[in-house]
Amino acid sequence: MFRERKQWSFLSFMLTTFVLLMILIVRLFYLQISSGDYYRGLSSQNHIRVVTKPAPRGLISDRNGVVLADSRPSFIVTAVPSEFDSSNTGLVATLIDIPEETLSRIISEASSVPHRPVVLRASLSVEDVSPIAEYIYRIPGVLIDVAPLRRYHRPEDFCHIIGYVGLSDDPESYRGEITGRTGIELSLNDILRGSPGLHREVVDAMGRVVEEYRGTDSEEPVPGKNVVLTIDAELQRTALEHLEKTGLPGAVVIIDYVNGDILCATSSPAFDSNMFSTGISQDEWDTLLQNPENPLYCRAWTATYPPASTFKIVSAYCLIAEGLINENTMPAPCYGSLTLGDTDFGCWTAHGRLNVIQAMARSCDVFFYRTSQLGSLDELAEYAGFFGLGSRYTEVLTDESSGLIPDSDYLNSTYGSDGWGLGNLLNISIGQGELLATPLQMAIMTGVISSRGLMPKPRLILQREVREPFFPAQVCDDTAFDIVTEGMLQTVISRRGTLYGVFSDFPWDFWGKTGTAECTGENHAIVIGFTREPEPVVICVFIEHGGHGGSIAGPVARDILLSYFERSD
Amino acid sequence: MILLIALLMLFLIGLATVYSASTVIPESDLFRKQIMWSIFGLIAFFVGTMISLRRLEEISPLVYFLICLLLLLTLFIGRGPANRWIIIGPIHLQPSELAKAGLILVTAWWLASQKVKPRKFGEALIFLTVIPAVVLTAMQPDLGTAVSMLLIVLAMFVWAGYGIGWIILLVSPIMAAVSSLNILLWLSFMLILIAILYRRKYRIPMWIAFIGGNSIVAALTPMAWKMLEPYQQSRLITFLNPAKDPHGSGWNIIQSEVAVGSGGLSGQGYLHGAQKELAFLPARHTDFVFSVWAEETGFIGCLILLTAFYILFWRTIIAARKSNNPFNSLVTAGIGAYIGIHVFVNVGMTLGIMPVTGLPLPFISYGGSQLVTVLFLFGLVLNAGMYWREV
Repeated sequence: MFRERKQWSFLSFMLTTFVLLMILIVRLFYLQISSGDYYRGLSSQNHIRVVTKPAPRGLISDRNGVVLADSRPSFIVTAVPSEFDSSNTGLVATLIDIPEETLSRIISEASSVPHRPVVLRASLSVEDVSPIAEYIYRIPGVLIDVAPLRRYHRPEDFCHIIGYVGLSDDPESYRGEITGRTGIELSLNDILRGSPGLHREVVDAMGRVVEEYRGTDSEEPVPGKNVVLTIDAELQRTALEHLEKTGLPGAVVIIDYVNGDILCATSSPAFDSNMFSTGISQDEWDTLLQNPENPLYCRAWTATYPPASTFKIVSAYCLIAEGLINENTMPAPCYGSLTLGDTDFGCWTAHGRLNVIQAMARSCDVFFYRTSQLGSLDELAEYAGFFGLGSRYTEVLTDESSGLIPDSDYLNSTYGSDGWGLGNLLNISIGQGELLATPLQMAIMTGVISSRGLMPKPRLILQREVREPFFPAQVCDDTAFDIVTEGMLQTVISRRGTLYGVFSDFPWDFWGKTGTAECTGENHAIVIGFTREPEPVVICVFIEHGGHGGSIAGPVARDILLSYFERSD
Repeated sequence: MILLIALLMLFLIGLATVYSASTVIPESDLFRKQIMWSIFGLIAFFVGTMISLRRLEEISPLVYFLICLLLLLTLFIGRGPANRWIIIGPIHLQPSELAKAGLILVTAWWLASQKVKPRKFGEALIFLTVIPAVVLTAMQPDLGTAVSMLLIVLAMFVWAGYGIGWIILLVSPIMAAVSSLNILLWLSFMLILIAILYRRKYRIPMWIAFIGGNSIVAALTPMAWKMLEPYQQSRLITFLNPAKDPHGSGWNIIQSEVAVGSGGLSGQGYLHGAQKELAFLPARHTDFVFSVWAEETGFIGCLILLTAFYILFWRTIIAARKSNNPFNSLVTAGIGAYIGIHVFVNVGMTLGIMPVTGLPLPFISYGGSQLVTVLFLFGLVLNAGMYWREV
């Protein structure tokens, strides 16, 4: 076989390479003989300038097509260092209104890549650019170009989700390229930015454009791709307005628990993300940083807090699913506290003898102090993980925190194996102690209950369709779901429930749970809950230093849902 | 003899061009370094001519294994552009260049043993052997070199007597994945596949395996693509197209075209290239060395250079054909393929008709690893040539 085939192989080798050789020679002939004069002319009198045409960044819109971020044209003034005549420095500096030293510094720094235009001033209006426009043909090497500028239509509602952009300092990027700094702008930068176009211009010694370069065609900019959020922009605005009315920092997260779409995720106080598009001034930046309420800090997914009594839905579920208690179990009565060793574990009032549904409705801590001792810390920690705590859920929010589930490994490494005990379990069973979660995670945790374990991993970008539930099927327990759901209903409708009366005017059923996270100063107020009608959503309202959970966060949750549902009708 | 003359010519042209390119780099000792490398290269050349080929055949798996280790090491301690070099003192080693020689040897060894004692699925085994070097190179990331490695191996398969149809079947999953993006492309690919299967008179199970398997690949590719998060998609695109740095590459290619074009018929004279002096090309002594030659010697010079390469290729393939020993013949043919692919890709790039990859122009581009490797390989070609003359 080897022998017979050899002649054929030899011919195919020689023929293939001969064809390739001919291709090279034809191309060489074209470049050197047919267009030789053209190129020789280019290289002696003129030269080629590559001008980057920035690509418009992709649009960002909400689930209903409301545009949240787009681009508007602005002018930039650039200079090609190799063509720039330094005797014009003073004139140019005056015309574009920057100090002369700054201008010469920019030019000298850019001289290492002399053919590449460097941005002198960006985001200029027609009025800003008109002085230099009059002189432009007398100043070689200075160009005026149109560049898209990022514009946010609801800068405050989406300052944390979408984030903001700034000038890129990546050495690979072209001068003046804008890049995402935070939020979606950062995490989806590669999709949003598109690719810049290149124009090859033949310019003469004075820097005037003679013609387009003939050798290689210009590349037109490819606009960035659009991104559609799962957020409902109207709901987002409503939620922020209601939060701001409380006058306290806080966060609201609303998720559709059937498909996992995050409908609202807002943090107050907010800031104006448009400030960054035009280049933020030092004063504005200092004001932002010095604001004691830190608007840059997102309370919906970056900040972590103890979930407090809202975590009782997980504790209760774990105890029931593991068969440690049932709906009739009534441990010893609550006298207002439980003493363990020489420590007093308090409850907020003396509740008496309760079953698990009543304990959830009235948020009795002692019930959980007593029953949690039947199980182990690691069992509870494992369930907390199943319910979505302790891990990040979106890939697009770069500043999302994972929170903390303290298991025995964690406590051993923090306090040493003798440094902790049953007391830690008791605290964690009521959502205090080392346990930390973001408001986003508290909403996800609620979604597991409301969807009976079927909620898919939450998403913020409306693109992919098939997703699996994240709650493991082997720990799905119908009885446990029934009991916890009943406990959340009783919280709202029973006379001694912690949300009693808040939802009395609410035309639909609401299942809820309050939480009061202990901290220095006034406690944090939390409400979680869900509805089935008219739309299946979970809500988490978190108000920093809001005091008792039900009294401030409850009405906020109700008002937001009310205006959302009434609008959808 | 003709081969030796072509070799000498290319070697000298290489030195002259590197000298010319280095004159415009201030305070450069590039030329001195290249002379030093040439001495090493000549030693490697003589080693290549004298080494026992039978012995080399025996140790080629070991050589290949060591080179793969070196590639693995490069991933961790690699330096320089795209982490392609291992730096030991003054020596900058580029293991992916050595890997090409290793691949040629190991593929020849496998294919030769397959001739003597064919095994079932032996070809699959050869491909499994080749994959580590290709993947490790692709991970550097140097996709251009990795693809050139695969092309060399495929060319050696052709030389070993596997038909084009067989090669198409071999790479059909890749073709299925690529063609799935366009329905017409995919249909024509399937027609070709059916024609090959029909001509080769395969039995039903093979039909099912190839048609079914490739249909599944073609169906899954767009689905898998959609499953990826957008940021993962863009990472993949960047990986497949690393040279898409519009400012850098776009600029280089234009300047290269201008340099080549302004060479005209007879060039601007040695050491007198105008574009070269503008210091426009960061890689004028390496990747874009051909444009320096083209500008200074013009169309005539380019024809001389390309003809020299073609003669070298032609004599190499003749030597491969005359060799009675399968291993020697395959190594020689592999080296021929190496030359052909490198010259076309590199020169094509400087003329703006091939994508920008880091493939050097053999003998001409500055670079020690490349020069030593290629001289050693041609030592082997001569060695194999002498072998058949004696027999």
